[in-house]
Amino acid sequence: MKKFGLLVIAIVSLSSCVTVKEYEKVNINDPDMKLSDYSIDRFKTNALVYREAASGGNGGKTGGGCGCN
Amino acid sequence: MVEKQVEAVAVINMKKIGIIIAFIVTSVSFAQQDSTTVYKKRVLESTEIDFLLSYYSQDGDNASVTGGIGTEELTDITPTIVVSYPLNDDDILTVDFGISSYTSASSSNLNPWDSSGASNGEDDDDDDDEDDDDDGFRNADSVIEGSPWVASSGASEQDVWVGGSVSYSHSSDDRNFIWSGHVSFSTEYDYTSIGFGGAVTKLFNEKNTEISIGAQAYIDTWNPQYPTELDSYLEAEGDLNDGFFSGVTIWGVNDADEIYAIDKSGDPLTNWAPENFSLISDKGRNSYSTTINFSQILSKKAQFSLFLDVVYQQGWLANPMQRVYFADKNNYYIGNPDDIPVYETKENMGVFHLADDIERLPDTRFKTPIGFRFNYFINEFLIIRTYYRYYFDDWGVNSHTANIEIPIKIGGKFTIYPSYRYYTQTAADYFAPYNEHLSTSEFYTSDYDLSEFDANQYGFGVSYTDIFTKAHVWKFGIKNIDLRFHQYDRSNGLSAWIISGGIKFVMQ
Repeated sequence: MKKFGLLVIAIVSLSSCVTVKEYEKVNINDPDMKLSDYSIDRFKTNALVYREAASGGNGGKTGGGCGCN
Repeated sequence: MVEKQVEAVAVINMKKIGIIIAFIVTSVSFAQQDSTTVYKKRVLESTEIDFLLSYYSQDGDNASVTGGIGTEELTDITPTIVVSYPLNDDDILTVDFGISSYTSASSSNLNPWDSSGASNGEDDDDDDDEDDDDDGFRNADSVIEGSPWVASSGASEQDVWVGGSVSYSHSSDDRNFIWSGHVSFSTEYDYTSIGFGGAVTKLFNEKNTEISIGAQAYIDTWNPQYPTELDSYLEAEGDLNDGFFSGVTIWGVNDADEIYAIDKSGDPLTNWAPENFSLISDKGRNSYSTTINFSQILSKKAQFSLFLDVVYQQGWLANPMQRVYFADKNNYYIGNPDDIPVYETKENMGVFHLADDIERLPDTRFKTPIGFRFNYFINEFLIIRTYYRYYFDDWGVNSHTANIEIPIKIGGKFTIYPSYRYYTQTAADYFAPYNEHLSTSEFYTSDYDLSEFDANQYGFGVSYTDIFTKAHVWKFGIKNIDLRFHQYDRSNGLSAWIISGGIKFVMQ
C-alpha cells in the first residue's frame, strides 16, 4: 500500500506540470482512450462478479444487486 | 485668424472624442454580447438506443450447490436495451432494462432426485414454505436416483432475472461539474434487489484533471431456496419415515466400507441427522459502497486514472442453496448404492450424498478494490489500454487483476480488440473442498468461487463505427456495431466463454 501511495504521489506530481489544451486533445478524445470499460463488456464483467471473489473497481457490481460474491 | 484656428482644433478634438466614445460603446456592447452568448455544446446531441445481447456458457466439476463436486454446467442469455435521452443541453435521462434467462445444471440439483421421480413431478420441497404438505406424493416403489454429475429437471433448473435502472445526470454550463443519480430494481426467483446512488464529478486544470466521488446502496432480500433433503428433514421433524423420506432407502457406509440400508426407525444418533441445519433467520442482504476516482491527462497521448472502492455488506451473505458436507460425520446417500464407491467421479450416475448443512458465512464483509487504468495512444492505428486492480477483504481473500487490450484501427470504420486478462485470488478463510469441513466450525463453504485459483481470459472483438450514421433503420441511424468474444479458463477446471453483441442507434 505504501508503494502504491508513493506511486500515486509521483504520478500526480509529474502530471501537474503538463496542461493539454482542448484543441490538443484529438488523441485523448478518441473513444478507445476512455478510462472505463466499454458498454459491450458489461456482460463479461457481470459474469466475473459471479465467478470470482473479488469485485468492484470497474464500474460493475460490487456485491449488491445479485446473489453473487 | 487665431480664433478660427482654435475653433477648428476644438471641432477636431470633438470628433476624436466622439469617435473614441463610439468605439468604446461599440466595444463594450460587443464585449457584452460576447459574454452573454457563450456557445454550449449539448452533452448528448440526440437520443441514443443501445440493443445489447450476450450468450454465456460454462462448465466445471466443482458445483457449490452439490457441495464442491458435480457439474457446473450453465448457460445464460441476456438481451438488454439502453435508451439515453437528452432532456436539454445539460441533462440526460438513461433507462436501462435487461432480462437474463439461465439454465443451470448445478442449481437444478437443489433437488437432484427430481428427474428420476423422487418428487413425482410435484413440489420440489426446496423452499421455506411452511404450508407444504408433501406426504405421500411419491410412489413407494418408485426408482429414486440422483447424482451431482447429472442435471436434474427441477424447478430451479431455469430462472429468469429481470432488472432495470433509471439514471439522471446534469452537467454545469462550463461542463466542469457533473452530478448524477440512479435507482435500480431487479428480481429473480430467490432474490430481489432495490438499489440507489449518486455521484459528483469535478473537472479542472482545463479539463486535464477529474475527480469523481460516488456512493450507492443495494437493499436486497432473499427468498431462500434450500436443498430438498434438508428442508424436508425439518418438515418431517427428523422422522425419516415421513414426508419426502417415506418409502425411500437411505444408504450408509460402515467402517469396513460396507454399504448398508440404515434402520430409519433406529437410533437417530447413528442415522443421518443434519443437526447444524436451520432455516436462515435474516433474509436481508444490504450492500453499501463508495467510489473515488481520480483521472489525469499526462500528455497529448497518455492518460490514467486511479480508483478506490470501499464496500460494506451486511446480512445473509451465504447462499442457502449451497450444500456443505462434514468430514467428522458419517456419509448417507439416496439412490443407487452401486454408485457410492465412485461417488466423486463422473461414473456416478445414480446416487446422491445427503447434505450436512448449507454454507454458513459471516454476516458482514468489508471489501476494498484499488487500482488504476493507463491508456496510451501510440498512433492513429494503435492504442494500448491497461488495467490493474488489487483487492482485499476481511474474509481473507486477496486478489490481483491485470488486463491489457490493444484496439487496432483498420480503415476509418473498423477496429479490432485483442485482449488478455490475468486474475489470481487466495481462498476465503472459510473455504474447504467437498467433505473436508468440520461440523464444529462456525463458518464453512465449499463454493469454489471462494477458493484459491488463477484464471486466464483471452478476448477478441470487432467494432464498426460510423460517426455520420449513414445507414438507417426508420428514423434511427446506425452509429456503432460491436461484437466481442471472451474465453475464460480457471486453474481449478472451470471453463467459460461469452459472446456479446451490440448495436447503437442515434435518432436523426
